[in-house]
Amino acid sequence: MAGQTDPHTSLISPQEVEFMAEDEMVEIVPNMNMNPLNFISGDFGRFIPQIPTKVPLWLAVALKRRGKCTFRPPGWFSVDNLTQILEAERESQSTFQPLPFSYVEIARLLFDHARDDIPDMYMVRSLVEDIRDVRLHKLETNLGSFQGTSAVKISSVSAMEVNLVRPFVRRALEAFYKHDKPEADADRDSRSSRQPRESNNEPRRPLRQR
Amino acid sequence: MAKYYDIDDILTEEEFAPVLFHKAVNGVTVDPSSETNSVEQGAKVELPFWLAHELHLRQVVSINLPSCFDQKTRLEIQADAACVDLRSRCPYFYEFGCKLQPLVADRTIGILLSTAFKIRYKERLTKVYTAAHITASTFLPLLTKEETNLYEEAHLSMTAFKKWRTGGPRFQIASILGRKRKESY
Repeated sequence: MAGQTDPHTSLISPQEVEFMAEDEMVEIVPNMNMNPLNFISGDFGRFIPQIPTKVPLWLAVALKRRGKCTFRPPGWFSVDNLTQILEAERESQSTFQPLPFSYVEIARLLFDHARDDIPDMYMVRSLVEDIRDVRLHKLETNLGSFQGTSAVKISSVSAMEVNLVRPFVRRALEAFYKHDKPEADADRDSRSSRQPRESNNEPRRPLRQR
Repeated sequence: MAKYYDIDDILTEEEFAPVLFHKAVNGVTVDPSSETNSVEQGAKVELPFWLAHELHLRQVVSINLPSCFDQKTRLEIQADAACVDLRSRCPYFYEFGCKLQPLVADRTIGILLSTAFKIRYKERLTKVYTAAHITASTFLPLLTKEETNLYEEAHLSMTAFKKWRTGGPRFQIASILGRKRKESY
């Protein structure tokens, strides 16, 4: 059961993140006639040949596998747009470009199942991979700027990227919290303690004014 | 008591701390080679932290700083925290330090710990995601237990992501479906 959460690490597996991303809506062009499908999440269809309609990604993939539709790649999924995003990602070191929350997963599913519906498929694929690598590197650089803060703000990070750093960041912040707290206690205690502090023991960092 | 079953917490308390006895204690054998079954007043002995802590609460002993927080280590941490081999000094450096802090006279431990962790975190741990595993193996032996855990978590999630990216079987048969149904008549 590789797709399931590993109970030991409490990590959501990439497969599960992909599963959640399959609820994103995409546009397809069906080539068959079918009545609307009624699901708990909503009604999709009706399906008329050559009339575009919006369905969840999982349904689109299922129809595509049966040869019942063609994909319409989303607007951001073009060579021009992705080139722009890649440029912008490379230019700024701290901010992330707004991309769909689950762009990694959508791209993967589209590359796997809708190869023939994407114009310039190889170009798009390498662009998406470049963007992902640049962003991951940037995210890592951002992690290095943590200084024991209690809140971290990095905007426009996608689902897969969040999932990737979640266990690490959680533990690291816990450790920061643990080490920041006794420092405050020590400040309070040392005021009342009678023992003089040995000044040569202190690390070289600027200490808080007391 | 929240950490009663935490093996790391238990091992942390097994670390030795030097103590100074304020009272003479009879009927205990701290040092097997000693002639009498007693500890004199003013004796300096190394005791595991859990015992030292209890005795400290009863004001029998006072705890001194263990060797992993001595002046030499401090100087090394000040010089370059990222390269200090903390594991050989004390695999539970941070946790041990946190536990010792309220019990010893020296108040600078907390600052030492947080400074050391911040620098080591920045220099070492944040390189986990893009650095190759081979380069990591050079500094892995230097990390304390807590840092190793951090590293492992990051490495695991990265491995899982890479596995997902390169693909594999997209669909798996649930184990319950794979079983042959028993014919029942």
